[in-house]
Amino acid sequence: MKWTVRLLTIAVILVLAACGSSEEGQEIESDEATGSNNSEETQSEENSGSEETRVIQHEMGETEISGQPENVVALEFSFVDNLASLGVTPIGIADDNDKERIIEPIQEKIGEYTSVGTRKQPSLEVISSLQPDLIIADMKRHKDIYDQLSEIAPTIILPSLAADYEGIIDSFETVSKAMGMEEKGAEVLAEHKDKMETLRSQVPEDEDRTVLPAVVADSGYYAHNMESYTGSLLESIGLKNAIQSGDDRYNKINLEQVVEFNPDVMFHMLSGEQTVVDEWKENELYQDVSAVKNGEVHQVDRNMWSRFRGLISSEKILEDAISYLYE
Amino acid sequence: MVTKNTTIHKFKLWFTITLGVLLLFISFIASLSVGAYSIDFSQVLAALFTNDGSKAASIIQTIRLPRAVVGLIIGACLAIAGSIMQSITNNPLASPQIFGVNAGASLMVVIGVVLFPDLAPNTLVYFAFLGAAFGGAVVYYMASTGGGMTPVKLALAGITVHLFLSSLIEGIVLFNETSTEDVLFWLAGGIDGRNWGDVQLLLPWTLAGVLTAMILSKSLTILSLGDDLAKGLGQNIGLIRGASAVLVIILAGVSVAVAGPIGFIGLMIPNIVRSLIGSDYRLVIPISALFGAVLLTGADVISRYIAFPAESPVGIVTALIGAPFFLYLARKGGRSS
Repeated sequence: MKWTVRLLTIAVILVLAACGSSEEGQEIESDEATGSNNSEETQSEENSGSEETRVIQHEMGETEISGQPENVVALEFSFVDNLASLGVTPIGIADDNDKERIIEPIQEKIGEYTSVGTRKQPSLEVISSLQPDLIIADMKRHKDIYDQLSEIAPTIILPSLAADYEGIIDSFETVSKAMGMEEKGAEVLAEHKDKMETLRSQVPEDEDRTVLPAVVADSGYYAHNMESYTGSLLESIGLKNAIQSGDDRYNKINLEQVVEFNPDVMFHMLSGEQTVVDEWKENELYQDVSAVKNGEVHQVDRNMWSRFRGLISSEKILEDAISYLYE
Repeated sequence: MVTKNTTIHKFKLWFTITLGVLLLFISFIASLSVGAYSIDFSQVLAALFTNDGSKAASIIQTIRLPRAVVGLIIGACLAIAGSIMQSITNNPLASPQIFGVNAGASLMVVIGVVLFPDLAPNTLVYFAFLGAAFGGAVVYYMASTGGGMTPVKLALAGITVHLFLSSLIEGIVLFNETSTEDVLFWLAGGIDGRNWGDVQLLLPWTLAGVLTAMILSKSLTILSLGDDLAKGLGQNIGLIRGASAVLVIILAGVSVAVAGPIGFIGLMIPNIVRSLIGSDYRLVIPISALFGAVLLTGADVISRYIAFPAESPVGIVTALIGAPFFLYLARKGGRSS
């Protein structure tokens, strides 16, 4: 008798569980069905225009996007830069809950947007409440929530946090393709490349000083080597990075290593009021470092130089660097 | 004391001390010799005594020497704290880390750093003391309920509190994004970048702590024979335990304030030392200090090789060595020494 009851209970539970999941499955399927029905309708309605369904290759596979997305959510600053270059205002940005992080040149280009939280942990609820038709996310940060993002809207994952300058250019091209703005994208890119050439020409051929961009904080000195975004950017116009090796792009280094690398120019991105450099300033070893001796230690804005990785910001970084070095 | 085998015992004692001093010398010199900037051995020795104005001398004297000294001091502090804790709780698993002292101190330091970013290290130490007291008290209370503190209960209570406090720390760090990189490295425990200012901060507290420990050492030895026996011999158990607790808070607290929560030294060293020379705390405490200094300094040298020439937290190395040791101790059944 007892066993029969137990078996019955187990059976009931199993049936309920199965019902539950198949119902969910049915719901999702019907949603997808309506979804694709909608896009088909849009296609047949607007076939006169340049609307097509594109398949975008990205880090997590392929995503189909149709038409020109109008409500885009960007989960990393580099994508905001990319969209701004294309003249698009994203409807939602993961701005770490701080509007001040959006650098000025880009603030001017884009209008109002809604913050969806931090880049590390964007709020899926806010994102979905914006009803986007495209989400652009970062490979390193968001690959674990790719599935959930895909349920809200077509999502593409591109390298941002771990990308160097070349990688950012590639991402830009993918973004413009995803937006259905390939022509405009190519235009903007060509303009950018021209500008880079002009900037490159302002660096003398025989420039052999080494530069070191770094984030300086209370806890340490985080140097960006030649593979980092800022490092590779400066290298691309002929400014050699003081660190020509290293597996990680951002390494915490101590004073001894700074002395060893002996950069000729240092660009310090400040993180916090007090940093290790304040302690180091009292050490004659630090004062002996080439950059310090020659007064070539420049404080720069971290948002511009490190957080925003895109066409607009890279032009600004180089303009800044050149004005520090040669004017 | 043991009357049989006194000669063997004495031999073991002197052997241990000599070994300790030798290892201390080796790890100290190694700490001065290893770094991104390559320096000859002869230059290292010379730089200890004179300053010939060379870069090598500057590096040794202003960067590596204070770091080595901090390593010696903190290693000693943590080992002494561990040995005291193991004595008053009669539990070989007791240590600042297991007792939540490290985690509590870290939590208060993180809170201090986040709320008052411009706080001087000298004031931050008091946050660490507060946190150390808090963490230790919670674990002590939790481990003592339900009739006596067994080693297993202590380990469970300690790990629970440690995890809980760590989650609080991570929460604070998460919500203060600018401080994230600042804190994560520190939370693993490291002595890179320590300078003479830190030595100045450590020295008074350490000296006071070591002195008090030595005064208490005789009482601690009697206490390790068991509460009843100790009471019978006229010891004021409450006072001894209270003073010891304050001592542990100071030694562990100041270590965490300077270098973050470095684990396993307070756990391993006293056990190893007691297995070599017995439970006379007049000897265990100073010899633990000696070997604690050796372990931390040695671990620091090793940590430099993990991602050479970039820095890695020394807490990684102590955990690598310490975790298997902890398992071994726990499996032994936690027989009290």
